[in-house]
Amino acid sequence: MKTVSSLLDKDWYERYRRISNLNIRSSIYDVTNRCNLRCKGCFFFSSGEHQAAVEEMDIKKWEEFIDREKERGVNLAILIGGEPTLCMERVEAFYKRLPTYCATNGLIKVPRDKFPDMIVGISLWGDSEDEKVLRGRDTFAVSSKNYEGDKYTYYLYTITPRQVGKIEPVIKRIADVGLKVHLQLLSNDEGVDGFSWQEGELKDLRFEMDEMLDHYPQTVISCKYYHEVITTGKMMGRSFGWSECPSVTESLDNRENRPRRLIHFVRWASDLKTVHRCCTSATRDCSTCKDGAAHMSWVMVNKREHLKSTKDLQNWIEVYEMFAKLYHFISW
Amino acid sequence: MPVNQDIKGIIRHVAEIIIDELKLEDVTADTFNSDMDLVDELGIDSMDLATVALILQDEYDITIDEDDYPKLKTIRLISEYIEEKLATKN
Repeated sequence: MKTVSSLLDKDWYERYRRISNLNIRSSIYDVTNRCNLRCKGCFFFSSGEHQAAVEEMDIKKWEEFIDREKERGVNLAILIGGEPTLCMERVEAFYKRLPTYCATNGLIKVPRDKFPDMIVGISLWGDSEDEKVLRGRDTFAVSSKNYEGDKYTYYLYTITPRQVGKIEPVIKRIADVGLKVHLQLLSNDEGVDGFSWQEGELKDLRFEMDEMLDHYPQTVISCKYYHEVITTGKMMGRSFGWSECPSVTESLDNRENRPRRLIHFVRWASDLKTVHRCCTSATRDCSTCKDGAAHMSWVMVNKREHLKSTKDLQNWIEVYEMFAKLYHFISW
Repeated sequence: MPVNQDIKGIIRHVAEIIIDELKLEDVTADTFNSDMDLVDELGIDSMDLATVALILQDEYDITIDEDDYPKLKTIRLISEYIEEKLATKN
């Protein structure tokens, strides 16, 4: 029987033990239906999720809801939207009760006197030119000033097909303002011209992502196995899709094959009653979904599948460490 | 409910369930080290444990609180937990 210690040397085993008992239980919350941007390709608006529920406005109801979520065993609240920073009181209600990650476009600064160590992930969709095309403005110019040198903030860089071969200047800009970056891929839910992945591009991109990790190890929070899985959609010979995705809301998960999944995961709408199918748009074709968190969770929930060889298990450890770093369960 | 409810019988039955449910190879209920750390050595995660716990709950007609999962780290600890629950029940 293959055991963890028989596959790993002392250092790797220590790394394994550091993460093996974390038991991260995340759920995702639409803090608001409103946003101060309207980005082409944002799944929240393109799939009508902003109209799925009427926003709960009573802060007391939010506080009671979060208390119930904590009771339910959630130990990581992932706040998305809309733009969460438009409703700072709600963000604060989460932050006071749970380890909290706040996704934002970075245009409004989270006040650090109120949120000293909350992890902030700033969305970035490419260089200035692509940002203007897809988001109507160069958000980096604002967000980088708001968060320069902030040790609890990183950029979540959504790479588009037009960015292949041009990633490095973006990474360098981020490094220059003293921030970190995690890489994920655009799913192009709205079919914006020129932003759909063509054959061969993903292979080139994987190589480029690996290079960025090698050249900017202090800036890029990632690992090469994640690059492989996200660009190929394959893991241990299996293909990502509806029958494999781990990030499906528990109460809506009626899949007969009962895939390995995130325990108690729910994505809540802003009325605090409605739930969405999964961590992204229900209108998205799962077989082409490029959601980064879903892919890394896919690896994470399939731990024993990676006990086949030393390399497989090391790959699993690196992906889990990456996730734990992104949500600050372990330090960068 | 399994007939043999002494600690040895419970250990053996828990081992059989884990081997069967997690499709473990190269190990039998006789050779399974009941003190092996299931998380640190076997790579079991909370979903595996939840699956095993559901079966044990049915088989022994007991309740296994999810908050107790972290302490159920070996087959022996799981078995002692079951033994204690059975004693309380009786």
